[in-house]
Amino acid sequence: MINTKNLIKVFRTDEVETTALNNVNLEINKGEFVAIMGPSGCGKSTLLNIIGLLDNPSEGELHFNGYQVENYTERQRTNLRKENIGFVFQSFNLIDELTVFENVELPLLYMKVSGAERKRRVNEALERMNIAHRAKHFPQQLSGGQQQRVAIARAVISNPKLILADEPTGNLDSANGEEVMNLLTQLNEEGTTIIMVTHSPSDADRSHRIIQLFDGHIVTENMRQKL
Amino acid sequence: MLKILLNTVLRSLYRQKAYSLMNILGLATGVTCTLLILIWVEYETGFDKFHEDIDQVYSVYENQNYADGDVFSVYSTPAPLAESIKRTFPEIKYSTRMVTTWGQLILSADGKSFVEDGGKIVDADFFQIFTFPIVEGEKENPFKEENSIVLTEKLAQKLFGELDPIGRKIEINSKFDYVVSAVIQNPPANSSITFDFILPFQFFGKLWSYDLNDWEANTFHTFIKVEEGVDSDDLAAQLQTYIKDRIKNSNVDLDLQAFVKYHLYAINTNKVGSIWYVRVFLLVAVLILLIACFNYMNLATARSERRAKEVAIRKVVGAQRKGLIGLFLGESIFFTLISLGIAVVLVELLLPVFSDLTDRDLSLGINNIKFLFSVSGIVLLTGIVSGSYPALFLSSFLPIHVIKGISRKDSALLRKVLVVIQFSMSISLFICSGIIYQQLKFLRESDVGYNKSDLIYIEMADDFNSIYPKLKNELTKIQGVYWVTAANQMPVNFTNSTWDVDWPGKIKDSEDILFQLSFVDYDFIETFEMDVIQGRGFSKLHGGDSLKFIINESAAEKMNMVHIIGEPLQIWDYSGEVIGIVKDFNFNSLQVGVEPLIMMRNPAAFKYIAIRIGEDVEPILNKIRTVWDSTVPDIPFTYRFLEEDFKYFYTAESRMSKIFISFTIIAFIISYLGLFGLVSFVTERKSREMALRKVFGANMDTVFQLLLKEFFKWVMLSNFIAWVLSFFVMEWWLKGFAYRIDIGIGIFILSGFVSLLITFLTVYQQIWKLALKTPVRVLKYE
Repeated sequence: MINTKNLIKVFRTDEVETTALNNVNLEINKGEFVAIMGPSGCGKSTLLNIIGLLDNPSEGELHFNGYQVENYTERQRTNLRKENIGFVFQSFNLIDELTVFENVELPLLYMKVSGAERKRRVNEALERMNIAHRAKHFPQQLSGGQQQRVAIARAVISNPKLILADEPTGNLDSANGEEVMNLLTQLNEEGTTIIMVTHSPSDADRSHRIIQLFDGHIVTENMRQKL
Repeated sequence: MLKILLNTVLRSLYRQKAYSLMNILGLATGVTCTLLILIWVEYETGFDKFHEDIDQVYSVYENQNYADGDVFSVYSTPAPLAESIKRTFPEIKYSTRMVTTWGQLILSADGKSFVEDGGKIVDADFFQIFTFPIVEGEKENPFKEENSIVLTEKLAQKLFGELDPIGRKIEINSKFDYVVSAVIQNPPANSSITFDFILPFQFFGKLWSYDLNDWEANTFHTFIKVEEGVDSDDLAAQLQTYIKDRIKNSNVDLDLQAFVKYHLYAINTNKVGSIWYVRVFLLVAVLILLIACFNYMNLATARSERRAKEVAIRKVVGAQRKGLIGLFLGESIFFTLISLGIAVVLVELLLPVFSDLTDRDLSLGINNIKFLFSVSGIVLLTGIVSGSYPALFLSSFLPIHVIKGISRKDSALLRKVLVVIQFSMSISLFICSGIIYQQLKFLRESDVGYNKSDLIYIEMADDFNSIYPKLKNELTKIQGVYWVTAANQMPVNFTNSTWDVDWPGKIKDSEDILFQLSFVDYDFIETFEMDVIQGRGFSKLHGGDSLKFIINESAAEKMNMVHIIGEPLQIWDYSGEVIGIVKDFNFNSLQVGVEPLIMMRNPAAFKYIAIRIGEDVEPILNKIRTVWDSTVPDIPFTYRFLEEDFKYFYTAESRMSKIFISFTIIAFIISYLGLFGLVSFVTERKSREMALRKVFGANMDTVFQLLLKEFFKWVMLSNFIAWVLSFFVMEWWLKGFAYRIDIGIGIFILSGFVSLLITFLTVYQQIWKLALKTPVRVLKYE
């Protein structure tokens, strides 16, 4: 599903050049649950952002479902993103001015889904994330765990083939974190490919494969027993 | 989608009350000012448009060409002109003369007498040219009978109350009997031609001995209505030499002015018509609206930190940039709409005050399609202009940058430029209104060459010379009455002029100069406390003084004679000698300079009595009233203070300056909001830096100074731009005045001081707010 060839990402400021990714070659198959780990600054999030088409590689190729996409225009990226990828962030990234329902509905609006269909799908997603009773609340009125569940509902509402999660439990206590991981695992079991950046070994345990990054290189790739 | 958009905007509006309030207030104030100005402009430009076929109506006016190259344009034309051109040119369908009843007439009906000065004397075509609907009586031709009088509804009500006025008798000046033939609607407030009653032209001949076939005298307005489709330039070209063809050596050309332009445009090229005010205020409206838009841009982008996250999320889940631009534009249009709502309420509340200020009966043109159309245009335009930059700026955020917390390319420079423009505009307005105020104050208070206070004058209706000598005799006996004199005109309403003047050494024709001509009685110079430079004033001690002339300094200069006292002078058929030179005094507004003037003693022309009284006004006036009532029992006692009339010269200007100053204050307030936006943006941006400085022991003073220095730099730049700009604009404006102030440095210093003070306070307030926050809060937030 995802294929990178010699992916390089260099950040330049006036005087300093930092290589965040150095010749990263990676293949992720449909239905996989992959965890990316490594110390702070090793390039985990950069890799995730490039895979999610939020950032451009400096060099190298990125293939998504067989298409070479690293040179896509902004418009093409947006279209590809909204049809195929769901995002879950550490800091939830919900829009404060929108209710839980409206936050989840947002991707469907940009996909031009009809009103009735939107309502049905949002309610379904909220039921599934066990947060339907909070549909009319605003993000600030919810606990961290609840907010992350809303964010996951938003990520899955468009039935994406891939979910990118950047430290999804990083801002949560263990109980809430556990709940979020259960949801992600369940989604994966239903067929969604998941790539997750995490610091937590226990979260990583849920994945099929752990990719260790260090200074922009892939150092190890461990296939988990569960597979 | 629209619903969600609306929800988002409303919620963010509620969530950030202070910001929203500032934004909406800024826009609402801007829109309010613009609406008020538009209502006024609509009123001014709508003058006289109620007349049907107004495009076919023209004033015929004179251009008098003088030897010194001056062209003097007047609406006064010869009596035979109207009828004559109608006969000559088939394209002229109707023509009429019009003249105001000179002075007051006493109208008596049902045994009651009223002094009235609002009459017009016209030809019958008047009713065909202008649309003043007749509501009662003879509609086709109200002047079928020679002794007809037409009354307005107002005057009919005053004279006859509830009685049917048609066919009732009115006696004028106890001499002439007239019958009411028609009642006409009161002329609307936006009519240039106003009147209370209308008399047929024959009345003019009855009241004054005047040769109505004389092509040389010019006294009457001439209006024409041409056939549909007539080319007015063509007609004007044919009319140009019409008078020259009849009088040899005439210096008069004729020209046409479309009647639609009568109210706003001056025919004299050296005078500015009210159109100047219309243009200036339209410019002010645009400036204020721009200031308000810039304000919005500033505040909206200043908040960008907070919007960045929203933009990023929307982009991540599939929003295209185009859609986001629409979103932000929609938001600004929505803000403008709310502001419009507030503005409409404000306009309704302010209209009475504004009507007072402009001396116009203004109303919000809710049912005026054109007006509504332009208001919607303004709202849309304001929304788009104010939303444009924020929309482009905010929608350009890349989600990755937001997510990674990379600060984007700063838009601070553009924002600073906006504030500089905003401040330059409002400081310019500030300086201009200051200078306008000073100039008008100067005009009001400067020496006019005579003492205008404690001077009253009485306009006599008729039979002046049978009453005046006796009255003067009685009046001078009153304690507190110092001088009594008479004249045909007062220095506040000089209208008589002639170029038919001869003096020794005059080069014939090539030195034809327009002289003002005034007929005054003995003691005129003393009553007005004018200064005699050479010779003397008119005095009983020297006999009749009937063929003697007093001239002013300007006249002496024009005649270019060294020893003028005792020299012969001829005006028309009067030959006499110059007995005195009086120091120049102003008989026009000071906007116009002093023109050459000749005064002679001609009792037959007297119309006014002027009285110099003591400072204890009320008791003296009572005594004068008593004397009047016993000497002239049939005529009610009415008088005016010369000083009041003098102020009238400047009512338009002082009214306009008041409005200008009000709008300047408003522009300043909106600019302040813009500055506030910028300062809060910068402090928000710098909060991390400041928190860190605090952590490492800096005190807020250093930080404060740093910020202050930066803002002072920009405000001083605005000041500099404004100084240059307003200096040149005001120099140009002041050139229009014969008497003017020199622009002083004071107002520039003041503008600098005020703007810096405002900046200081704003920065101080923001820093204070920041100083109260603990560094931990700031850094954690980051």
